[in-house]
Amino acid sequence: MKLEYQPKIVGFLCNWCSYAGADMAGTSRMSYAPNIRIIRVPCSGRVDPLLVLKCFQRGTDGVLVSGCHPGDCHYNEGNYHARRRFALLRDFLDYLGIARERLRVEWVSASEGQKFAETVASFTAELAELGPRSES
Amino acid sequence: MKLFTSKDDLIRWLNSLLRERIIVAPVRVQELTVFQPISKVEEIAFDFGNTTLSPKGWFLPPTETLFSVQNNDGQPKLVPAVIEKDAVIFGLHPCDARGIALMDSPFLQEPGDALYRERRARTALIGLACHQAQPECFCTSMGSAPNDPSHVDILLTEVEAGYIVQVVTEKGERLLPKGFVEYKGALPTPPEPQAIPIKEVIPAIRELFNNPYWERLADRCLHCNICAYVCPTCYCFDVRDYSDRGNLERVRSWDSCQSSGFTRIAGGYDLRPTKGARLRQRFYHKLLYFPEQFQDVACVGCGRCIKACPVNIDIREVMSDLQQLEAKSES
Amino acid sequence: MDSELIHQIGNQARDLLESGTVKGVIGYERASDGLTARPFFAYEPAAVERLIFDETCSYNLVKYLLDKKDEKMAVVVKPCDSRTINLLLNEEQIKRDMVFIIGVTCPGVVETSWNHKGQTLQARCQTCQLSKPLVYDFLAEHEPVERLEGELYLDIQEMETRPVTVRRAFWLEQFERCIRCYACRQVCPGCYCPECFAEQLDPLWMGIRIAPKENELWQTIRTFHLAGRCVGCNECERVCPVDIPLSLLNRKLEKEVKELFAFQAGLNPEELPPFATFKKEEKLGFEE
Repeated sequence: MKLEYQPKIVGFLCNWCSYAGADMAGTSRMSYAPNIRIIRVPCSGRVDPLLVLKCFQRGTDGVLVSGCHPGDCHYNEGNYHARRRFALLRDFLDYLGIARERLRVEWVSASEGQKFAETVASFTAELAELGPRSES
Repeated sequence: MKLFTSKDDLIRWLNSLLRERIIVAPVRVQELTVFQPISKVEEIAFDFGNTTLSPKGWFLPPTETLFSVQNNDGQPKLVPAVIEKDAVIFGLHPCDARGIALMDSPFLQEPGDALYRERRARTALIGLACHQAQPECFCTSMGSAPNDPSHVDILLTEVEAGYIVQVVTEKGERLLPKGFVEYKGALPTPPEPQAIPIKEVIPAIRELFNNPYWERLADRCLHCNICAYVCPTCYCFDVRDYSDRGNLERVRSWDSCQSSGFTRIAGGYDLRPTKGARLRQRFYHKLLYFPEQFQDVACVGCGRCIKACPVNIDIREVMSDLQQLEAKSES
Repeated sequence: MDSELIHQIGNQARDLLESGTVKGVIGYERASDGLTARPFFAYEPAAVERLIFDETCSYNLVKYLLDKKDEKMAVVVKPCDSRTINLLLNEEQIKRDMVFIIGVTCPGVVETSWNHKGQTLQARCQTCQLSKPLVYDFLAEHEPVERLEGELYLDIQEMETRPVTVRRAFWLEQFERCIRCYACRQVCPGCYCPECFAEQLDPLWMGIRIAPKENELWQTIRTFHLAGRCVGCNECERVCPVDIPLSLLNRKLEKEVKELFAFQAGLNPEELPPFATFKKEEKLGFEE
């Protein structure tokens, strides 16, 4: 039996904006691909590169980091730091052989349930194209 | 018993051994030569000074799983480590063979380390005599020699048309193919590594524990693990249990007395809190504690630590300093 | 090299020790191979005669200051090493008045390992832009040397043009050789955490296993923790016993930090490091 490859995505969602946005997608009964496993963090600035790399090592095909829009961070600056950090990390992981498309950063506010659903859909499709992590 | 083999016959013999056994041999990896299991006899490097890491990693791997306990749906099942195949270490120099023999003392004394014991029993050592001494070699001062057959099962010495084959043990004899003819000539003269005086090292080191020499020497030490890891006789390790979704694995990895925290105990107290105390420990273990326990100095004169130490802490210099310090204090 | 340089360094060192201005002078002496150099700590004026300075003095001595925080020390500093001084001042790991910097103008150093001296200048020297240290208390000088104008990141750019899968295979092969001796961390002046992430038990990032996955985590994250902090002394690559090309990692991040944030570590001890600050309007590729 040939199993179709289903990308595994881990999403780090900030509690105040993105997690609420994902929740809104749920309460609005928007359906989105079930490939994502969500981990709630206080702020996108909390997401440690170690967490991202360990996800990839343990079989994740893509990692989504989602936070408040720049300027709207609940803690004022967390997402500005996250922005710098992940700009560099995405490039560095690509250099090490983990394709840059596998680390995605999106700004999703609490009212953007639709945007969250679309993000997951497009990310899943992109990763399905790219193939499992162990091959690239 | 001295036999002779051509290079071609040697390759043929190794190929036949490779069918049933693992062969661990020196292999060129970029600029380094390292011991690793080979898949083809062609991979073997025959011409090398000495490898960066010693072959002790076959008997005490950098990392190994001692056993695992599988969850098995609530019925825990113990899965011991299994040694799959017999092995041959090919191409090790006499100093490294002596290193393995020295490691036998702590690892085989009762009750013994089960995995080490099994690997040791199921591994034959085919040594390669040195035809050149490196500037860092001093094996003849430490109980070995470039052509010493003492601790191998077979010793090969390269000559014009091939190799002299000295069969040392019964284990070696059983490995031999038929057809090697007797070698009637003399063994070539071995090279002469630098000789260093070490007679007074042990009496000296016994008196110098509190000497400020150690803190001074440790000023430049980085406290990395390089010396211990490249050394054929250093054998400190760490054991940790790791669990994952109900499955447990007991893992053993190389460790070194040099790293800070090596002697940190519960509560945060460190028995060797200073750089000097940690550096001193390595020399005391090798030059005093080990001989007091096992009658041999735990150094074979391979010179790897001298070559690899990033800040040039040179054991020959240390031994000479110790003897001088003690001589000065006595006079 | 220059006996004039050694003369100047020696005299300064002797004065500092005789006057008791410093507890010790960290410099270089001849190694046991009679060919290369090694770090040397002179605590008495008589020891000063052992000091040398030549093209084998590639070591970065500045990190040793972190072991000697209680005493005022002098340290011999090449232009590249002075960036390390600025880094440690910036991160408040050393106090300016606790170190006497014996600066040296440097025509470049060669690759060295025990009993081996390279014939050409190190790659980082060939593209070095500093003719004298950025900070010093005394400068041992000789005639200025013409600076070469090499391209800084040719090897990084070449690596960037390879396909992702080829890069993956390359790095996995490199990381497989790592034996986690941690020499790279121990020699690096930017690695001074009392508890390294590699040794943390909770969360257990790595554990003690010496295996490809853990090695990859080790190398990747150590490099990332040095982003915007690595001053390019290349000691990590020099000390690695298994020849892992660490400068291909550290200089990649150095290049990206320069391009993304217009920042280079160790040039100005007052400047905020790139990850301690941000610009609200900057565009880094995550635009809406």
